[in-house]
Amino acid sequence: INVCTQRSTRYVSAISAARGLHKSALDAAERPTPEETVTSSFGRFIQSVQPRHLSPTVLQRSKRMVLDSIGVGLLGSTTDVFELALQHCQHMYAPDDVSFVYGRQGMKLSPTLAAFVNGVAAHSMDFDDTWHPATHPSGAVLPALLAISDMLHNNSKPSGLDFLTAFNVGIEIQGRLMRFSNEAQNIPKRFHPPSVVGTLGSAAACACLLSLDRSQCSNALAIAASLAGAPMANAATQSKPLHIGNASRLGLEAALLASRGLEASPLVLDAVPGVAGFSAFYEDYAPHPISSLEEDEHSFLIEMQDIAFKRFPAHLGMHWIADAAAVVHKTLIGLKGGSISPNLVQDILLRVPLSKYINRPFPETEHQARHSFQFNACTALLDGEVTVQSFQPEALLRPELHALLSRVRLEHPHDNPANFNIMYGEVEVTLVSGDVLRGRCDTFYGHWRNPLSQESLQKKFCSNAGAVLSNERVERLIEAVEGLDHLDDCKPVLAQLQ
Amino acid sequence: MPLGSFTESFGAAVSSLNTSHLTDEVIRRSKRMILDTLGVGLLGTSTPVFNTVLQCSQRQQALEDSKVWGRPGLSLPPQYAAFVNGVAVHSMDFDDTWHPATHPSGAVLPAVLALAETLPVKPSGLELLLAFNVGIEVQGRLLRFSKEAHNIPKRFHPPAVVGVMGSVAATAKLLGLSAAQSIAALAIACSSAGAPMANAATQTKPLHMGNAARGGLEATQLALLSLEGNTQILDLESGFGAFYPDYVPHPLAEVTPTSHYRWVLEDQNIAQKRFPAHLGMHWVADAAIEARAKFLDKCPNADLSQIKKITLRVPTSRYVDCPLPVSEHQARHSFQFNCCTALLDGEVTVESFSKSQMNRSALKEMLLKVQLENPQDNHSSFEKMYCEIAVETTQGEMFTARCNTFYGHWRKPLSHEDLVRKFRANASTVLRAEVVEGIIYTVDHLDTNQDCSMLWSYMHFNNTFE
Repeated sequence: INVCTQRSTRYVSAISAARGLHKSALDAAERPTPEETVTSSFGRFIQSVQPRHLSPTVLQRSKRMVLDSIGVGLLGSTTDVFELALQHCQHMYAPDDVSFVYGRQGMKLSPTLAAFVNGVAAHSMDFDDTWHPATHPSGAVLPALLAISDMLHNNSKPSGLDFLTAFNVGIEIQGRLMRFSNEAQNIPKRFHPPSVVGTLGSAAACACLLSLDRSQCSNALAIAASLAGAPMANAATQSKPLHIGNASRLGLEAALLASRGLEASPLVLDAVPGVAGFSAFYEDYAPHPISSLEEDEHSFLIEMQDIAFKRFPAHLGMHWIADAAAVVHKTLIGLKGGSISPNLVQDILLRVPLSKYINRPFPETEHQARHSFQFNACTALLDGEVTVQSFQPEALLRPELHALLSRVRLEHPHDNPANFNIMYGEVEVTLVSGDVLRGRCDTFYGHWRNPLSQESLQKKFCSNAGAVLSNERVERLIEAVEGLDHLDDCKPVLAQLQ
Repeated sequence: MPLGSFTESFGAAVSSLNTSHLTDEVIRRSKRMILDTLGVGLLGTSTPVFNTVLQCSQRQQALEDSKVWGRPGLSLPPQYAAFVNGVAVHSMDFDDTWHPATHPSGAVLPAVLALAETLPVKPSGLELLLAFNVGIEVQGRLLRFSKEAHNIPKRFHPPAVVGVMGSVAATAKLLGLSAAQSIAALAIACSSAGAPMANAATQTKPLHMGNAARGGLEATQLALLSLEGNTQILDLESGFGAFYPDYVPHPLAEVTPTSHYRWVLEDQNIAQKRFPAHLGMHWVADAAIEARAKFLDKCPNADLSQIKKITLRVPTSRYVDCPLPVSEHQARHSFQFNCCTALLDGEVTVESFSKSQMNRSALKEMLLKVQLENPQDNHSSFEKMYCEIAVETTQGEMFTARCNTFYGHWRKPLSHEDLVRKFRANASTVLRAEVVEGIIYTVDHLDTNQDCSMLWSYMHFNNTFE
């Protein structure tokens, strides 16, 4: 009888009666200090964050991200994979005439499908932004937010600040989630990060823009968790861009489902032994709640950790090796003048981190080429730079490139880990004449330690967006995004993309 | 083995298997699965979660739509029809369970039917059966690539992992994809696989099934548009292996037009549930029913509140250990709840999970008397687990019972009569008698029928809408 009484007191405690928690959840919830769960702290954060919480640095950095992401998406609308994804959506779904599609004037799709194809566009050339810990945060969030903005009635479009707030919530959530695991600090091996944190980032951003209450915000995250996670093996294939497209689409779906009352695990972000939630995607998982916006000084992660924008469309690791090879190229030009002939070169040694999926001696497709140390090094050796054009079929097939590729070997020094914060790239070219030329890059131009100037970023945008939009629209977009935090509603941005 | 060869063998098998490879036993078992799944799906169309996903999906339209079960006049693009119908099938945890553990049919059947409906030339019943079985087979094979898969899952919900692969294989088969396209489809589908266990025992769990069905169909469509993925997807640890800590793939046997093919379903039968709850609950219910019978046998007019203490000896499984469930989803995943319901009523039924039944004071009082024990020899595996119950009364008497194999388990399958009875009970909540009998007849004759399009037409009725 003693046992029964003790147990009945325990079971009928306020927490369990009100929430009917799972046993393991009961244990988790009945710690001495009445802590909020990690999951609910996230829900609370999303719901309570306001524009006033965005510092000038955060505003400035996130506007840069918005601009870059739109430009990259517009360029990406010229790719095969984008066309394929678009056809797929159109065959299966008649136009829902609500949300715009990058680079297809007048064409509309339903919001989730627009988020999907525009997300595919953003990542189609691996040209989109990269953060630390590693993921491509903006492409998962922006398409969904733009799609929702199109969906909302003309009289209730979000203000520029509301839009930026939701965008930053989506970025912040991704950053927070990645800090729950040490494994996330290194170049990924199992799950492609955008498909893991990107989906929840999109759900969070959409929940914020749709003004869901805090329990709906938590549920949106939990529902999104069941839609997250794609294996790394599909990176460097044509399917990779769909990881971002799906992250954006499914995050939006999760928010919409949550808005209709669908419920999911209230402990999805917490570490519950024996029942994996978000922890399913990591070997080592240690979550922390987000601090309250009322009590503590909340700092957005983007403020403390800036982002990298790419100068050419390839995996981030390629930028180090390209800059290192460019140094050697310049030296060679100085020595020999004119263009580089492969006959001069006896041996090319690359000192790079160990990472199977960016080690491709003879890439055959453009996707593989964007993920090949060897290809990017040799291209930069030949041309002095890597550009969008470097991945065109003609460029891939150049005989002089192949000649150089066959002379490349890799070394993986112990002090060069597969980590975007620490890695470096070194190129050592041994000439037939016996001379040895070296180039090294510790921080490429565009990395968060050496960010692109506003001029360089706008130049990249003009080049990308100009591939599909008129000069006038390109200029207006730059202006609209630059002044986003002062716009009463975001129509000026949307109008140029319709 | 050369890299890529496991994946290749899957692509080859999926494209080469044909109707002549279907054995009688496989046909018999799969027809039972189809009937059970349809009934469970129809019943599921009355759930709130089904309504929610339906509302969300309705903003999509298409040139060719597929029928939504239990919603006359409502059609959706095939992926979305597969999605909502898949949600219906798993909405009450009433659908079939296999070993190693997954719910195979709900990921495959909705996708196959939704796709079949859009084809200009409708497949014959045998072709439908073939596609269905390819989808089941691929799931069974993939589950055998990991030892961890043999136990009650902890990290990823199996239908979300293998279910989407089953759906893509089945739909690829139905559309006649080449081996190379099948490989691409498998790879694309893999990027949609995986959902964490934490959402099981919540309202979101049925979406795992719906999304598996949807994702597989979508992957097939993308492969047809020539999208490519990693051709070694099933070989790599960074591919399908990402979902398991111990991943050891094996190739599928070579399939020639005249060879005999050994289907997993032939060697390993399936469990069909008698009531809508997690499979583990069925052992508990059968043991509790037996103990109750012994109790009432001894004391015919006994008052069940005379029970002082109930000990349940069950395997360790955190997500079905729920002492005080609040939602119906939790109740379906609670050893304690199912035990007490069985003790009180002598059975567990669909009604047992209704609000009124769940709120009974007698039930709530009894729940406080339950204690779980996890004996070392009680493995968290649907192949090995048992349930032992010990009921102690205030008079000091003890009634015990043990269930090793519940009725409906693959070792003790439901009789044909009981399976059809379950279908009738489920389908009748939504369909008129003639339509119910029509489905039973059509499925029974699936292997000999050239035109089975009435199947999705039958599923499209609803007697409450007439």
